[in-house]
Amino acid sequence: MEILELNNISKSFGAIKALDNVSLSLRSGEVLGLMGDNGAGKSTLIKIIAGNFKQSSGTINFENQKVEFSKPMEARDKGIEVVYQDLALCDNLTAASNIFLTREIKRNFGLIKIINFAEMFKRAKNIFKELKSETLPDEEVKMMSGGQRQAVAIGRTKLSKAKVVLLDEPTAAISVRQVAEVLELIKQLKNQGIAVVIISHRMPDVFAVSDRIAVLRRGQLVANKLAKESSPEEVTALITGAIEKA
Amino acid sequence: MILGYLKEDTINKIIRGILVIPLFLMTENEIIKSKKKIKISNLHEIGLLIALILVLLLFSFTTENFFTQRNFTSILRSASYVGLIAFPMTFVLITREIDISVGPSVAWSGLFFVILIKWYDFSYFTSATIVILWGILLGYFIGIARTKLFIPTFITTLALWSALRGYSLFVTEGRPLAISNKEFRYFFGGDILGLPTVTWIMLGAFLIFWFASKYTVTGTNFYAVGGNPKAARNIGINVDRVKILALIGTSLFSAIVGILFVARVSSGNANLADGMEFDVIAAVVVGGTALAGAVGTMTGTLLGCVFISMISNGLIHWGIDPDLNKVVKGIIIFLAVVINSNVTFKSNSGGPKED
Repeated sequence: MEILELNNISKSFGAIKALDNVSLSLRSGEVLGLMGDNGAGKSTLIKIIAGNFKQSSGTINFENQKVEFSKPMEARDKGIEVVYQDLALCDNLTAASNIFLTREIKRNFGLIKIINFAEMFKRAKNIFKELKSETLPDEEVKMMSGGQRQAVAIGRTKLSKAKVVLLDEPTAAISVRQVAEVLELIKQLKNQGIAVVIISHRMPDVFAVSDRIAVLRRGQLVANKLAKESSPEEVTALITGAIEKA
Repeated sequence: MILGYLKEDTINKIIRGILVIPLFLMTENEIIKSKKKIKISNLHEIGLLIALILVLLLFSFTTENFFTQRNFTSILRSASYVGLIAFPMTFVLITREIDISVGPSVAWSGLFFVILIKWYDFSYFTSATIVILWGILLGYFIGIARTKLFIPTFITTLALWSALRGYSLFVTEGRPLAISNKEFRYFFGGDILGLPTVTWIMLGAFLIFWFASKYTVTGTNFYAVGGNPKAARNIGINVDRVKILALIGTSLFSAIVGILFVARVSSGNANLADGMEFDVIAAVVVGGTALAGAVGTMTGTLLGCVFISMISNGLIHWGIDPDLNKVVKGIIIFLAVVINSNVTFKSNSGGPKED
C-alpha cells in the first residue's frame, strides 16, 4: 500500500528553484534512501513532508488522502515524524523523559498532576525491547552512546505510533559499532511496517538498509530505483552528474 | 586546642557521622543498583553538605556565640529571605536566563507596599495584592523583552537594577518610610513555634519548588528548555512561555520578599536588600546550578542558601570587617563555579559518548 505520495512537488525560494517537479511514493515497511549533494534539495523535500515548508506547487497524499500541513505538529498528528540529528534530545533528561516529553503520563491528585515515572520507565523499557536496543530508560541521555541516542530519538516516534519516519543523517558522527546498532534500529522499524526515509551521505549505510534509492540533483529527481538494481558507483555518478538520469 | 572543647569519643561520633551521611545519600540514589552511576548533581549536594558541616564545626569551635539557638535562628532567617528568591532563580538559571534585578526589585517592592499604605491609605491586604501583581507584571515584561524583542535578560535586568534603585531613592529622597502595625510586624516579621515566620514560608516554598522540579510537567519543561532549546521547541514545548514563567518567578518572589522585609524592619527603605542579587545567585551557583543552564536542583539551592548565610554570619562572629566579608563571598562564588564546572561538565561532557 502506498502510504505517502508526492505528486509534482516544486518549491521556489524567490528566483531559486529548490525542487523541480519531484514525484515520489513510499510504501509501508519500505526503507527509502534519499541521496544527493549539498543543496540538491533533500532538506527542502523533508521539510515539506514534515510540514515546515509549504510546496509552491504539487500535491501530497497520505494514506490516499490529500493533505496540507501548515506546521510540523499537523504532520506529526497524522503520523509523520522527523528525527533530526541534533535537534532531537535533551541531554540533561533521562531516556524515558525524552521519549515522553510533551506527552508525559500523569496521575491526577485533585488539581495537581504528577508525572508517573514508574509507568513511563515501564513503557520506555518496552519500546527499547521492541527496538532490540539495550538503552536504559532511567539513564540520562548525556551518558549515552550515539547508537543509544538514536534509539531514544526513534523511541519517540514509536510512542506516537508514527507511520512514516524520516531520519536525517542517522549515522553521521558515530563509531562503526554504533552504526550497526542504528541500522538494526531501522530494520526493526521496517519489520513493524513503518515506512522509513533515510537521508545520508554515507553510501554503505544507505545500501545496507534501503529497499529503494532516490537521488536528487539540483532540485530534480534523477533516479528512483531498487537498491539491488543499483550500485554505489552508479549512485555516486548520479549525485555528481556523471550519469544524467537512471 | 580547639578539640579540647569536646571529649574524644564525641569527636569520633561526629567524624563517623560525617562519613555516614554520604553513604546514606548514595544508597538512596541507587549507587548499589548500578555500579558506576552516581548522579553528578547528587555528588555536588553531598560535597556541599560535608562542606556545610565542616564550616559549622569550624565556626562553632572558634567563636563563642556562634553555636547558640539565637544565632542559628538569625542564620535561618537570612537564609530564608535569600532562599525565597533563590528557588525561582534556580529555574531561571536552568532555562539559561538570569535575573540580576532582584535586590533593587525587593527594595522597590517593599517601598511600593509602604507608599500604598501611607500615601494612598490602602489596606495592608490590598497593598500586598497590588505589589504581588506588580511583581508578576515585571517578570512578564522581562520575559516578553527576552522572547519577543530578543533582549538578553542580563541587559533588561541590569537596566531594571539601576532604574528600580534609582527610582526608589528619588521617591523617598533616600529617607526610610516607617509604618507602625504591631500585628503585621509580629506575625510576618516574628516567629511561629520557635522558627521565624519567613523560614516557614521559605520551607513551604521549597517543598513546592522541589516538588515542581521533580514531579511536574512544568518543572520538566524548565530542564528540557535549558538542556536543548532547539529540541524542546521542535518537540512542541512552548519555549517562550516556559522562559516567561521562570522570569515571573523571580520577580514575583522579589515582591513577596520586599513585603516580608517591611514586616521585619517596619519601614520601606530605598537602600534595602543592597547586593541581594549577589547572595541569591551565589547561593544558587554554590548549590550546584550551572550558569550555562540545564543543571541544578532545589535541594542544592537550599543548602547553598544556608551555606552563604552561615559564612556571612560566621565571619561577623570572627570580627571580620563587613567589607572584607564581601571579598570572602566573592572568593567563595568563584571557587564554587570552578568546582561546579569541573564536576558537572568535565566528568560527563556533553555530546554523544563513544562506547
